[in-house]
Amino acid sequence: MAMAALRREGRRLAPLISPQSITAVRSSLISQEQAPLGLRSISTQIVRNRMKSVKNIQKITKAMKMVAASKLRAIQVRAENSRGLWQPFTALLGDTPSVDVKKNVIVTISSDKGLCGGINSTSVKTSKALKKLTAGPDKETKYVVLGEKAKAQLIRDSKKDIELSITELQKNPLNYTQVSVLADDILKNVEYDALRIVFNKFQSVVSFLPTVATVLSPEAVEKEAEFGGKLGELDSYEIEGGETKSEVLQNLGEFQFSCVLFNAVLENACSEQGARMSAMDSSSRNAGDMLDRLTLTYNRTRQASITTELIEIISGASALEG
Amino acid sequence: MASNAAAPFWRSAGMTYITYSNICANLVRNCLKEPYKTEALTREKVHFSVSKWTEGKPEKPTIRSDTPED
Repeated sequence: MAMAALRREGRRLAPLISPQSITAVRSSLISQEQAPLGLRSISTQIVRNRMKSVKNIQKITKAMKMVAASKLRAIQVRAENSRGLWQPFTALLGDTPSVDVKKNVIVTISSDKGLCGGINSTSVKTSKALKKLTAGPDKETKYVVLGEKAKAQLIRDSKKDIELSITELQKNPLNYTQVSVLADDILKNVEYDALRIVFNKFQSVVSFLPTVATVLSPEAVEKEAEFGGKLGELDSYEIEGGETKSEVLQNLGEFQFSCVLFNAVLENACSEQGARMSAMDSSSRNAGDMLDRLTLTYNRTRQASITTELIEIISGASALEG
Repeated sequence: MASNAAAPFWRSAGMTYITYSNICANLVRNCLKEPYKTEALTREKVHFSVSKWTEGKPEKPTIRSDTPED
């Protein structure tokens, strides 16, 4: 009964002390020392509500972490297996990030959903840096954007350079057919000399490296072949089927793009799940810390109010006696 | 860089090598026997939404999908 009275008091006094102390509760949660002297401290109701919501958030983020961990396990195997698709291409045609061509198309891969840490921002940053690197007189660079998050970030300052934007990629589990249809769409709609695919390569659960994979168009391969190196040795290979070299190069180029894109999409999905796992993990840890601090505040408030009540009762009793 | 040999039939029909290999893969998957066949065909589902941009504005997105929209 006394506690109920105190709570009423607290509520009545709360508007009086509201501007400073309630914001103090929100910001530092150690409000007693900062409340003006002589006023009763914040009622325990507010702190209790905060504790309840923080505990719910902790449960939710912990669940999200588990979900991300299980998805990661499933997709990691596929990503590592898909690396074998493009390795023969790199052995044959080489990966030449420093190639100098007129038309660059940057394919940025990102996720549709958020709460996955910083991987989408690093992809976008890498794309923008790549655009600056490949810019120059007579050269143009365009973007093809996969995923909502990169689209949102690139819209802000590179609206005119976006050629295609693709979303809803992960509605069904990722498979090669889907990515190859996508690659086909890109090839049909975009003119390019070199395609640069920007994605986050999955090294381990805590490390994701932004990488750029370069795929050249058949004409660009012909030009580079004149400079020697890996591409110059193409003539020493025997081609079965009696097709001309340019025919084979065109087929190879398209297939290479499709394989590299498939691997890139899988690796990015892995990185997304890994980043989400670590983001949700740190979030639940922070929620736990916040909960500890709130519990201390709550106990202190409760004990202070009990003490105040006791003091009043005792001083009232002693006033009556004497 | 015109090729002197005649282009294969699918190239002159407008398909890329990717489309050609996908059709071949689909034919191979359809040759499987029953439980494996449905598993393999679920690996072929396509769904994404693409929108072409002109002058900094996206056009209406077209959804390319095997599954019908509900």
